[in-house]
Amino acid sequence: MKKPAFEKNLFLLGMGAFLVFSVGAILTTIIPPLVDHTFYQSPYPVHTYTASELNGMKIYQANGCVYCHTQQIRNLKEDQVRFGWRLVEAPVSQSWEYVNDRWHFLGTKRTGPDLARVGGKYASSWHWAHFKDPRNMGEKYQTQNNRFQEASLMPNFYFLSDGQIKDLTAYLQTLGRNMNWRKGQSGEYLNDYEN
Amino acid sequence: MRPNTASKLLIICSLFYLIIGVSLGFVTAMKLLWPTVGEIEILTFGRIRSVHTNLVMFGWLLQAGMGLIFFILPKLLHNKLFSEKLGVATCVLFNIATLGSALFIFAGKMKNIEYGEIPIPFDYLTVVCWIMFAINVFGTVINRNVKYLYVSVWYIIGTVIWTSFVYITGNIITQLPFITGINQANLTWFYVHNAVGLIFTPMGVAIAYYIIPKSLNTPLHSHKLSLIGFWVISFVYVWTGAHHMIHGPISYWLQTVAILFSWSLIIPVVAVITNFLGTYLATAKDKRYLGPIPKFMYMGTIFYLLTCLQGPFQAIRTVNIITSKNDWVVGHAHMALLGAFTFFAVGGIYHVLPRIIGRKLYSEKLGNIQFWIMTLASILFFGILWVGGVVQGYFWHNLNGTFLEILKMMKPYHTIRFVSGSLLVVGIIIFLYNIMETLWGKAQELKDVEV
Repeated sequence: MKKPAFEKNLFLLGMGAFLVFSVGAILTTIIPPLVDHTFYQSPYPVHTYTASELNGMKIYQANGCVYCHTQQIRNLKEDQVRFGWRLVEAPVSQSWEYVNDRWHFLGTKRTGPDLARVGGKYASSWHWAHFKDPRNMGEKYQTQNNRFQEASLMPNFYFLSDGQIKDLTAYLQTLGRNMNWRKGQSGEYLNDYEN
Repeated sequence: MRPNTASKLLIICSLFYLIIGVSLGFVTAMKLLWPTVGEIEILTFGRIRSVHTNLVMFGWLLQAGMGLIFFILPKLLHNKLFSEKLGVATCVLFNIATLGSALFIFAGKMKNIEYGEIPIPFDYLTVVCWIMFAINVFGTVINRNVKYLYVSVWYIIGTVIWTSFVYITGNIITQLPFITGINQANLTWFYVHNAVGLIFTPMGVAIAYYIIPKSLNTPLHSHKLSLIGFWVISFVYVWTGAHHMIHGPISYWLQTVAILFSWSLIIPVVAVITNFLGTYLATAKDKRYLGPIPKFMYMGTIFYLLTCLQGPFQAIRTVNIITSKNDWVVGHAHMALLGAFTFFAVGGIYHVLPRIIGRKLYSEKLGNIQFWIMTLASILFFGILWVGGVVQGYFWHNLNGTFLEILKMMKPYHTIRFVSGSLLVVGIIIFLYNIMETLWGKAQELKDVEV
């Protein structure tokens, strides 16, 4: 068999490897946002982060929370039910919901539960106790203690200052609020994210 | 400077990160059993997990690969490395970047990009190192004394070119202020997938294409398969990033494209594997698996085949429901980087290092023991992650159990993962001992053997 020309020509080899690669590279990185504008802009109002929430986001990043918690309700019944709230199913995450996220935390692994719709599900005082010691949340949340004590694998974040926990909690409470989905007893949508 | 100084230095430095990297993996596995172990800020799970992946991927695999390439390339081209001094400078800067990034990540300074946690300025420094490496590679190829380029050289050139774009996209472009949300996520998984597929795969395959025929003393099985493998992988690999977001908040058509191209990946992989195994089969039966080198290369080939068959199946939408977001993924990632490419690098170092320093490998027997410990431990390690992952996937699918109850069920799987992971660390320690004795201990001078 006659050998192809690139085998003795470095320029042909290099250009060939680059061009063949660049077809897929361009079509999967540059083209998708041009076709689907929700990659970078939203047709609906999206929450703008406050300074405190942004700081919380940085703390979330600095401690690698994303390696155990995803932030995406996939288009699957099990995700919607499991990460729903009081028998209300969580809405599937949409790409436009993330447009204001300077840093994304979609994640690949769920050692802990998904957090895409965690905002408003727990009181901020619950988060406080949970960050301080996930396996022993004190008097107030005694009923949850036993379950968490045995199974939770979350690190203690005792080393975060009170201010840092406050910011981190503020950030968590924003998650999922771009869609109203939790309903109160009389059927009205709840907007109690700051509690 | 003496020939191969840069190669030797890069290989020795990479071994340091190998042991640190796997030890950190050991600690993370421990934390899944006893979450309160090592309860200090810098040893928080999220941080050591990131240092673990960064050190084993860049400190160990990338650096070892660069070292091996600096040895292999001049051998194939019948000349000397373009510049030993540049090579040594690359090594020094690369180690500053790797050590610095590890310290920064421990301190909580990391990017939100998986495998790209390495913060500014160290990611920029890594790019500088890569350019220096590229100059050395291109310079050596241009100054060659042979006419035709062997298949390893194609893959090395491919690695140099693809890595540049993949690394810059993942580490620098994702951090631009207007790249947010899903756009950033898409680029992240472009990087995450191609870091394995277009950095470590061509690097590992280039090494194997040299070491396998050389250590078996048998010519390569097929030139045609080499051609198919190389050109198909350079076209299809890059399309598959979005298969990390199947069922996720990204365009459905992009997921479908990624799934289709994940399947087409079987073509280059089977071409490469057939080529490797064909070379083994063409060798006399009693000479196929003599000593640790052919063993490691053979097992690396098998792990490469398995990991690349897993990929397409995981990408099927219905299969993905069960295998995604749990321990299965961890098993898959480890089979690629620990199973396939670490085995190739270990085999490569066993071949290359004694030839650089002119001494025999201290103990082939120890190498064989290391091979069996690492092979059996890694099969157990990958296997238990897959079984645990599938169990977890099915229980998540069944909406009766709570998340915590299902997590609690994972205890036995995490225990076996910890035990088999510890055995892998033992294997690595034996490897390092063997290498240290070869370098500085009782190993004999290499005589009468073709260097």
